[in-house]
Amino acid sequence: MEPEKFQQVFKRLEAEVRKVIVGHDDVIRQVLIAFFAGGHVLLEGVPGLGKTLLVKSLSHVLGVSFKRIQFTPDLMPSDIVGTEVLTEANGRREFQFKKGPIFAHVVLADEINRATPKTQSAVLEAMEEKQVTVFGESHTLACPFIVLATQNPIELEGTYPLPEAQLDRFFFKLMVAPPSPIELREILKRTTGTETGDAGKVLPDDGGKLIGQMQQLLRQVLIAPPIEDYVVRVVHATQPNLINGNGSTSPVKQYLRFGSSPRGAQAVILGAKGNALADGRIHVSYEDVAKVIYPALRHRIILNFQAEAENVNTDEILAEVVKQVPRA
Amino acid sequence: MRTSTDAQGRESPEQRVGRLAAQLRNHELWDSLLICSPPLLVSIYLGMYLYRAAWIAPITFLLLSGAVIGLSLLAVVVHTRRLRPSVRSAARLVDEKTEAKDRFLTLATIDVALWPAALVGRLRSEAAALLERIDFRHEFPYRIKRSFYWSFLISLIAATLFHLSMPLMESTRRQAPAYEKLSELAEKMAQRPPLSELAYDLHTLAVKLQDPNVAEQEKQTLIHKALEQVEKQQKKEKEQESRALLGEASSTLQGLEQQSAKSQQKDTEKGDGGAQSNPSQEGQGEGRQSQGGGDSKGEQNAKRSKDMQKGQDARENSKEQGKEQSPQSQGDGKDNQPDPSNKSDKGTGKELTGKTPGGSQEKPGRSRSDEIPQGAPPAERFYKPGEQGSEGVKGARYVTVQLPEELAADSKGEGTLSKPSKEPRAYPKIPVSNAPLPAHVPEAPMEKQQLPLEYRGIIR
Repeated sequence: MEPEKFQQVFKRLEAEVRKVIVGHDDVIRQVLIAFFAGGHVLLEGVPGLGKTLLVKSLSHVLGVSFKRIQFTPDLMPSDIVGTEVLTEANGRREFQFKKGPIFAHVVLADEINRATPKTQSAVLEAMEEKQVTVFGESHTLACPFIVLATQNPIELEGTYPLPEAQLDRFFFKLMVAPPSPIELREILKRTTGTETGDAGKVLPDDGGKLIGQMQQLLRQVLIAPPIEDYVVRVVHATQPNLINGNGSTSPVKQYLRFGSSPRGAQAVILGAKGNALADGRIHVSYEDVAKVIYPALRHRIILNFQAEAENVNTDEILAEVVKQVPRA
Repeated sequence: MRTSTDAQGRESPEQRVGRLAAQLRNHELWDSLLICSPPLLVSIYLGMYLYRAAWIAPITFLLLSGAVIGLSLLAVVVHTRRLRPSVRSAARLVDEKTEAKDRFLTLATIDVALWPAALVGRLRSEAAALLERIDFRHEFPYRIKRSFYWSFLISLIAATLFHLSMPLMESTRRQAPAYEKLSELAEKMAQRPPLSELAYDLHTLAVKLQDPNVAEQEKQTLIHKALEQVEKQQKKEKEQESRALLGEASSTLQGLEQQSAKSQQKDTEKGDGGAQSNPSQEGQGEGRQSQGGGDSKGEQNAKRSKDMQKGQDARENSKEQGKEQSPQSQGDGKDNQPDPSNKSDKGTGKELTGKTPGGSQEKPGRSRSDEIPQGAPPAERFYKPGEQGSEGVKGARYVTVQLPEELAADSKGEGTLSKPSKEPRAYPKIPVSNAPLPAHVPEAPMEKQQLPLEYRGIIR
């Protein structure tokens, strides 16, 4: 596949989603990058910002199947992955696997932190292995497959924060910010009038092959060893127990309990590659890396009690890390 | 021009980046050389200066020059290696200039074999298109860095400070006895057979110059002769180094000659000053005699006598006298005063006449025999504590004793010796006792002390 084709498709997808979603340009772009990089996205924001609409629109423009799972405390793992049901056919009774909503190309895990850890962990295998195992039998998920989970940061009553292991499986964590006044006016115009914008399909219904080619091209994007070194140094600098030099004055050492896993570095590189391709380039630049460092690492570094007490967030610490690590 | 442009066009972007890296390395080398040059030049200049001024020996100069040059080369190498631009940094520079978003960095650093050839070829063509926008010579010209200006400025300041401090150092150096330099030169000359005889003469001269017993006039004569000898030898000598040595000896001897002439001139001026001071003594109402026209120490003596009359500490006077007894003043026969030990007898008759030999009016007060004797060689008791006289009194201390009747006379305003005609008593020649006390006596009195009456007879 030619890089120009990738850029063309990508731009069209962005444009179509923007017909429905006002603002959130970065979020749309990064969700698409994560999709073509084969990752999953955790969207965090207060209710009513269009998270669910974004995911629905995305699945629509991609022309792939879409399922929504509303996570609640009484949601069971079988409600997600499916279960064996007893069926009777031709006078014979047999168990037949009934697929759950996880067997879709785009899965929206709405308010994922409201389900119990047991149910949340049911999604883990699906996200990582792209398969589920029910009664000892493995079932492969659809390809492409992306989980777009949302969570509400303010309603913590009766929620189960995602464990670090599950957080690490998300490629990006995107913060959905409230719209600006101009964006809000546009939202009102689109939603309260008689004419509403509808996103058109960009990819045909059998667009899986094309998506596969685009995902393959993304991994072929050139990256210079110095840029890889830079990513490694940034990820390494998030380790509070390994950092040298600054001692206790370093914010990493002061506020972090755990640093990023190697998955963080992988996400940064792949995200940078996707960003480069989306910009029509076949090589990664430092700018691409800088654009994806925050969404790729912010959920992978774990704050300690002091940071929670002082209301320090991970983005501030990452900003400090980026400032401290030289590019050359 | 076109050929070179074509050649550049045929070059791949990686090659051009490599060429730029080499160009930047040359720039760094120039920078290092420029930074190190001013201190090096200043160091060599200072070395030359010191060598020409004979502060350092030629071998020292050569060794120092070698060391400075070696250090400078080492500094250049270290500086160049430390700041040596790599291909990666050159590529980043090109990226910045062409806004290539790290295309050149990617091309310059990736392993082409590991990546799809189509993508690499595409990246290369993109980079080549961007390279056409810039000309390396114009975009990356050599510019003198600020560090060079700092180096130049600091070196200039160092050189200026050196020049400003040179007179101070010279004066410090001049304080060293010239005869020592003469001895050194003689030693150097002795190593050269044609100059060995002259070296011996110079060495002898240096020894004589150190001898305080040799008269200044004689010294001057000897210096003059030696100077003539050196100049003759200098005219004969053909060898460069010998000529330099002789030149140095000549300049040293000239300096000695001038020094000797100056000291003689000073002595003469002092003698004149003594004669002029006589009239001033008359109006002071002092009961002392002037030393006459030939007394070179007249002024000082007059002052001393006045001080004594005023009841000042006699020890100060003895110090002054000690100062006055410089060896230079010994050359003038007229100025010489008899030794106090001899004078005590000779002056007994004269001291009561009330008239000075020079015709000055005698005032009521002390006679000439009361004054501290002048002239060379000075009695050792006139030396200050710690000084050594000709007879080798070391660390001697002195006590001033004032007799009770002198005190009484002082308080009345008349000297003890103002009525010599009535009482021709044998008073001591001077109103002070200079009996030396050993330095180690802790209770040795430093100031005036009253002499108990029972000891008066002993002292007298």
